[in-house]
Amino acid sequence: MIIFNMSKTKISAYLKWSPLLAFIVLAFAPLFVKTYYLTLLTSVMCWIGLAVSWHFFSGTTKYISLGSAAFFGIGVYITAIFSRILPLPIVFLLAAAINFFFAFCGVGLVTLRLKGIYFAIFTFGLAELLNNAILFWEMQVTGTRGRFITSVNVYYPILIITFVIIFSIIILRRTKLGLALRMIGECEDAAIHYGVNTTFYKILGFAVSSMFIGLLGAAFAPRWGYIDSGMAFNPLYSFMPAIMTLFGGVGTVLGPIVGAVVISLLEEYLLTTFKDYFMIILGIIMIIVILSLPDGMTGKFLRKAARTTEGRG
Amino acid sequence: MILHLSVDIFIGGAILGALYALVAVGLNLQYGVTRILNVAHGEFIMVGAYLTYFCFTLFGMNPFASVIIVGPFMFLIGLFVYMLLLGGMVRSSRSGEELEFRSLLLCFGLSFVIQNLAIVLWTANYRGYEAFSLGMIDILGANFEINRIIIALISIAINVFLYLFLRFTKAGIAMRAAVEQPDGAQLIGINIFSICAKSFSLGILLAGWAGTLISVLYSTINPFMGTPYTLIALMLVILAGIGSFKGNIAGGFAFGYLTYITMRVIHPALTLVVVYAVLILILLIKPKGLFAR
Repeated sequence: MIIFNMSKTKISAYLKWSPLLAFIVLAFAPLFVKTYYLTLLTSVMCWIGLAVSWHFFSGTTKYISLGSAAFFGIGVYITAIFSRILPLPIVFLLAAAINFFFAFCGVGLVTLRLKGIYFAIFTFGLAELLNNAILFWEMQVTGTRGRFITSVNVYYPILIITFVIIFSIIILRRTKLGLALRMIGECEDAAIHYGVNTTFYKILGFAVSSMFIGLLGAAFAPRWGYIDSGMAFNPLYSFMPAIMTLFGGVGTVLGPIVGAVVISLLEEYLLTTFKDYFMIILGIIMIIVILSLPDGMTGKFLRKAARTTEGRG
Repeated sequence: MILHLSVDIFIGGAILGALYALVAVGLNLQYGVTRILNVAHGEFIMVGAYLTYFCFTLFGMNPFASVIIVGPFMFLIGLFVYMLLLGGMVRSSRSGEELEFRSLLLCFGLSFVIQNLAIVLWTANYRGYEAFSLGMIDILGANFEINRIIIALISIAINVFLYLFLRFTKAGIAMRAAVEQPDGAQLIGINIFSICAKSFSLGILLAGWAGTLISVLYSTINPFMGTPYTLIALMLVILAGIGSFKGNIAGGFAFGYLTYITMRVIHPALTLVVVYAVLILILLIKPKGLFAR
């Protein structure tokens, strides 16, 4: 195996270019692959974006948010409402701005006093609240159910947005914000003693993460053609990013990506082959993974790698 | 008219409240003692409801009498789940936070498995059974089914028994000790692992009983019936404060009245909206629940 004989710097030099290579390959993919695989690729990339964004705040700080669906749904509804009057890129920017504002002022400022399980339940309640409130509004006030969106191919928007999200998060992890979030995850009390304004960074981190999730929602919406509140605020969008991140491993950007790819492909495979038993198998796999790989798939590998490099000195 | 409505709300809310208190008490006990947030709680309620249904259709058992079968059976299921899946996790987790996070996701997977196993085994169709009806009772002009009142009384009785169990038996006292001081409990010679297993199974047993009563109350059951009760139980645990028995009763009734008033006075479709709004409001004012110590 040549790759193991290469020195560490050489490997990382190659690894540095691999995301760019992936982007180029994916950008030309529509010329070569069938529509089915393009649709699959779109979903996988959307899940990658969601998992990475979720991990940026919740995975790093260990404040488990189960409210991703709330922000995803807001994004979906913004596209549904504005895509007829505004061009799509502006709609996406609008969705990002509104989600950032909503998460920062509406949710962040008042909720991050909550800890642990209270925060998880609160965020989950938020998604359900929006879901039910919009359902009630549509049924009772406007007398309609759901909305139609002009269906367009979302492959390129999702591709670009996912890569933008991944690169922004890689950069953000090295800034003051990212370091503060990591410190909060390690030990919040120590961070406070050290003089980190934890409340501010928690709110900012949560808002950034929610902004990315909302952006993905806005970009993904045109694929459906028709949406209602049940689809937009589906609890799956809250739980899946968490499961994918745990599956892949917490602590690196690579973990959520690996988790998202494996779980979404597995889901697709099980759904098409064992339709009736799909959820049972998925559940069993989830249980086995949680029991046997407490640090996720990448965790074991990374620990091993770290030990080898330490051994070499 | 006003009298009608107020009697209706007073008794109807109390019936719902008693049932909610029973739905949540199992989860509160489990979470309080073991720190496992069992989000498959509603699925165990569903299993309890199905057991009651089969006791009735196969053996012609009175649904209220079937608690004798459902209880031990659910306890064994709980013990099995704990030994097989959760016990090892409790031992291997490095911190309380990690255990909470991992057990939450594990129970989420478990709820997938149980719900879809039920669909495969028993189909996704609604099943109903005409158990029996004791007729209606007229209280100051408001009509109530006698069945519902019996259900409320049984829920209250179960809660009272549980209270006596926690207050006066050795195992109950050990459970309360484990809620308050897990390390201290170990120091004075309580086998925390066995207490956790017992509390978890007891929680499953209580969920099963709640399922029995719910199946009588609505007389239709299906594999998806549990999920809303998971949410109700979770919210009540938050509302009541973890490990607080009295808070659970008070929260259950408050919650019962809240939903019933919304249903009767405002609009049935708004029930969930109001419930979530109130939950969020409570968390904003009291970040650790209303009755937190």
